[in-house]
Amino acid sequence: MDSPPASVALNTRDGSPSAAAGVDDGALFLEGLAKEAAVLFQSGKFADCLRILDQLLQKKENDPKVFHNVAIAESLQDGCSDPRKLIKALEKIKEQSEELACASEEHLEVYYDEWDTSVATFNIAVIWYHLHEYARSFSYLDTLYQIIEPIDEGTALRICLLLLDVALLSHNASRSADVISYIERIFFVSSPGNQADNGSSAHQQPLLVSKSTSLPNNLTIHDGSHPDSTSDDSLTRTLSEEALEDEPLPLLSSLDISGQNLQRPGIVSANDLQRIQPEGSISTADLRLKLHLYKVRFLLLTRNLKAAKREVKMAMNLARGKDYPLALYLKSQLEYARGNHRKAIKLLMASSNSTEMGIPSMYYNDLGCIYYRLGKLHTSGVLFSKALSNSSAVRKEKPPKLLTLSQDKSLLITYNCGIQSLACGRPFHAARCFQMASLIFYNRPLLWLRIAECCLMALDKGLIKSSSASAISEIGVNVIGKGKWRQLALRYGPSNGHGIYVGMNSSVKGDGKQPDLSMSLAWQSLVNALFLLDSSEANYFKADEAPVSEEKESGEAPLSQSSNLKNATGGDPKAPTVASGSSLANANGEVKEHKGGQNLAGTLANSILDYEHICMKENLMIRQAVLADLAFVELALGDPLKALSTARSLLNLPDCSKMYIFLGTMYAAEALCLLNRPNEAAEHLLMYIPDGNNVKLPYSQEDCEKWTVEKVADTDESNGGTAAVVSALSTGDESQAPVFSSSEEARGLFCANFAANFALLGDFEQAQRFLTMAFSDIPNSAQAILTAIYVDIKRGNTQDALAKLRQHKGVRFVPGNLTLNGSC
Amino acid sequence: MLGFEDCGKLLRLLSAAEVKTVEEIVAEFNSKYPRSLRFYACSALDFFTTDPKEKFLNPTQRLVAFAIIHQAYSSQQPSSNPFVSKLVDAACDDIAEKYERAFVLLLLSSTSVNGREFLKQSAADYINNFDLSSHSFPQREQLQQQYCGKIQPEPFKCMLKDNSLKNIVPDPDVPCGCDSNSSEFDAQPGVTSKIGSGNREETLVGLLSSLSLDGLGPQWIRPLPPRFPVMDGELLWLNPDMNHELLWDYGMCADTSRGVAVRDLISKALKGPLVPVQQEQVLVELANDPKLVYHCGLTPKKLPDLVENNPMIAVEVLIKLVNSPEISEYFTVLVNMEMSLHSMEVVNRLTTTIELPKLFLHTYISNCISACQGIKDRYMQNRLVRLVCVFLQSLIRNKIINVNHIFIEVQSFCIEFSRIREAAGLFRLLKTLD
Repeated sequence: MDSPPASVALNTRDGSPSAAAGVDDGALFLEGLAKEAAVLFQSGKFADCLRILDQLLQKKENDPKVFHNVAIAESLQDGCSDPRKLIKALEKIKEQSEELACASEEHLEVYYDEWDTSVATFNIAVIWYHLHEYARSFSYLDTLYQIIEPIDEGTALRICLLLLDVALLSHNASRSADVISYIERIFFVSSPGNQADNGSSAHQQPLLVSKSTSLPNNLTIHDGSHPDSTSDDSLTRTLSEEALEDEPLPLLSSLDISGQNLQRPGIVSANDLQRIQPEGSISTADLRLKLHLYKVRFLLLTRNLKAAKREVKMAMNLARGKDYPLALYLKSQLEYARGNHRKAIKLLMASSNSTEMGIPSMYYNDLGCIYYRLGKLHTSGVLFSKALSNSSAVRKEKPPKLLTLSQDKSLLITYNCGIQSLACGRPFHAARCFQMASLIFYNRPLLWLRIAECCLMALDKGLIKSSSASAISEIGVNVIGKGKWRQLALRYGPSNGHGIYVGMNSSVKGDGKQPDLSMSLAWQSLVNALFLLDSSEANYFKADEAPVSEEKESGEAPLSQSSNLKNATGGDPKAPTVASGSSLANANGEVKEHKGGQNLAGTLANSILDYEHICMKENLMIRQAVLADLAFVELALGDPLKALSTARSLLNLPDCSKMYIFLGTMYAAEALCLLNRPNEAAEHLLMYIPDGNNVKLPYSQEDCEKWTVEKVADTDESNGGTAAVVSALSTGDESQAPVFSSSEEARGLFCANFAANFALLGDFEQAQRFLTMAFSDIPNSAQAILTAIYVDIKRGNTQDALAKLRQHKGVRFVPGNLTLNGSC
Repeated sequence: MLGFEDCGKLLRLLSAAEVKTVEEIVAEFNSKYPRSLRFYACSALDFFTTDPKEKFLNPTQRLVAFAIIHQAYSSQQPSSNPFVSKLVDAACDDIAEKYERAFVLLLLSSTSVNGREFLKQSAADYINNFDLSSHSFPQREQLQQQYCGKIQPEPFKCMLKDNSLKNIVPDPDVPCGCDSNSSEFDAQPGVTSKIGSGNREETLVGLLSSLSLDGLGPQWIRPLPPRFPVMDGELLWLNPDMNHELLWDYGMCADTSRGVAVRDLISKALKGPLVPVQQEQVLVELANDPKLVYHCGLTPKKLPDLVENNPMIAVEVLIKLVNSPEISEYFTVLVNMEMSLHSMEVVNRLTTTIELPKLFLHTYISNCISACQGIKDRYMQNRLVRLVCVFLQSLIRNKIINVNHIFIEVQSFCIEFSRIREAAGLFRLLKTLD
């Protein structure tokens, strides 16, 4: 480059000589100021930085980039106290830039730094990320990712890493894989030696992290340069000295300077400054380790535990000697996922000495997860609340930083608390937790299902009532009158005039903010869950069809083939190369690199396929549960028509499990009876009496086990350093409640309902027969006894009815002690 | 159901049957029971009067009960009285006392203004003054037609509910058919009776408070859906975060000279060939900064000029842009631009360095062929045909295209221009591959 940069006017657009010729001392001055501001910003002197920015603003009144940096610096100065305000400011700046770009004539033709909004957009995404709003963050980052090619490498890498984090956190496996392979291809392109353990070797290669305006190929030139090559520029020298404290930096900064000096003696350009910024640089070794850890997270997400184990090993090798809590935590998570709970505990304990912000609460939370899986619900509850109290300590930390926001994981821990409370049978507490967690998990169907389960549990425990009682826990018999006047009044369920409205159980009083659990809340939650399930499935379809629609969009190009050209371009780095790996020959000698990556691409692609399969299976499971709950709730709300259609959609699900088919059949039949269609109900029920005589088990124990995915700890690691702790903590051993009722109970239940159906149809003989069968499976069912009494009375056998009442353990005879003293 | 106090009030009303006139009692009932409670009270009375053999109530009380049931709804059409069919039943019940049936008939035939004289006496007086001969008992059907006929069908009847029984059964241990009124069971001093005399009023109170509207029906068991198992990964495992900080925008007031020289040269390159030194400079700078290509001022629209004037630069730029989202646009322009030595040169070079889309190549070849056919100038045509032939041979030899896809088209091209040596050569090449 012949002309020194200083000779170029700031507002050069088209690079025409006339514009370039306008040598402008003002512009040079501004550039200098901007650099000074950047340095002050990097060293955290925000007040000074803002003073300089203010000067800049006076010279350049409407420069969106100055506004942007002012907003960032101001926000960091007061510890990002109002992140949402900052987002608004950045949005405005972004809009302004875009308007200016539109106004500028050439905006359509040339990519211009001046109106480039990628940094502002990235910052918006960063803030949303810290606010745990992953979906929003994702939408910004994905937009950037679509146009990532022209963005300078430093920003591009940051975009990729953040996008990777966000995609992983929002369970977007395929986008995560895209980004991983993109980083592998673009950012490791020219680095020689792809081996896992070259990271700790002496030649740490700085990665190109900024706009490299005029440098020759960075990585190669750096190898030959010396760290102590001198620079006349005092500014950069100070910087490089400052940076010496951090390990990979001295090399990097001085190398850059040397490169700089080769080209342009004199003023350091802002672009080079960026390369020197302390936390701005990422060495290749560091990046390589990071990428390994990201891959571990990806593989854990997609449950490819085998590959995750390999990847963890490589990461551990790279991190050798360094304290890298993330690596340990991921390893622990891997062991947790594999069911090696003791090993997972050991690993967590090994990292527990870290007092870094946020670590203690993660430590307790993760231990809580492990103990939950070990079936020690009480202990896990204690651990979760410890995690919560540590998390709130983080929140109070001063001075506040943006990072504090994302370190505040209390909402995530609260979700875990909810699960634990639900398992312990505390529906109100659980519901409160879930409702708090809904701030970030509102788009997960499972959350809504859990809230509905809280309502159902409260109903089951008699803590709330429904308009049509389903659970009859006991039968009372009021003995009324004496002697010859004596009468017996049956009393059951809450709706016979004795039911008292119980809003809440007095034993679960918390802080007075009890959520209002009700059947209508359950209904609303389940409808939400269904909606989310439907829309996520729609998304799957959309994803499948995406290439097609893209083609259609670009169909306005002059040639109809153009769209296909685009698709066929093997080198598009953002195409889901993991799926179609081999077509990646590239001019930049990437073919060789790619061969090494082939294995990776295969692993990623397989993981995604497996994961999609898992997701579909899980969604199907969730859908079954949601539909069953919904049918139940609709019956409880006294809406048999809706319940019937819900139960039918449950029964029509492809691959519906036998347990849920059973539930669906029961609900559908009851709904039909409530709709005065007992004959149709009988048709439904007949499926369990295939030969018209013998009742078959609705499902087998095996079916239940297939469904149950809660894992048991493996017992082969019983010894070890954690044994003492474990035994100390294991006193409150609550075992998990069985998920489904036994298949015999289900059969008994079917018989009782079939009998009730016969009784409705007036066939008391058959009713009697099935009741007898029912009693052999469920001898203590209050409903079955009531049906039996009904049948007896209908047949005129009051004596038998009374005998049944007397035999039945659950029935209590209560002397009627009501008197109206003096009132008559 | 009825609360404690309401039960008491109802019992007091009934026990006044001997002394007060029926009308007085009914009026008292209407004033003491708000509309909302009347139904409950009436259904309790209905229960007590259902079986004429049952002696919960004595004869006068039964009459008062019927009167209350009827009069509680007397302001409306008789058919809208929910208990009207019950009253008709009582009027037709052969087992019941004749005076009772006659009383119910009188009730049914009365309206809110007429035929109320019989209510202006006490129930006891009515029974005492009863004269059977002055009454006739119409058939049930007739009564039903008269009083229930206009009943609108209920919008929804539920069998589970309709088939229900009252939830109260007489204790079967009390021998059936024993006369509750006989003194047989009354307590004798010093003798503990087997069953005991009991207390009628006590029973009434107990029944009133235990009576349920719902009744006893066949019971469905509605299984509670199980709690959904905790999914893999549902419990949230926390890991230390990677740090993501806010970024300073280094583009602020930055040196916008980035690529100015190249931009300059590229704009020159659109107008005419660059001298070798200039060309070298462009290539070096492009190689040094992979992003520079996005800032050099080139757009798809300008590509043809660059191709014509500086094919080597065009090749380099396109190779650099291969990852760009705009690359397909560049290809589109390239495939559509006028056929020339330079464009062919560019495409040929591209084929050796990057993988071009198949469709692009095929379209390009077709365009080449039709361009040859379209040229009028014989000399130029020969030149172009030879070029195309060399180009195609190169593509085929380097296995960049699959001949089978364009075989027919290329073959006919060779035949058309068989007078040209290169075309014959290409034809032979095709034959050897055949």
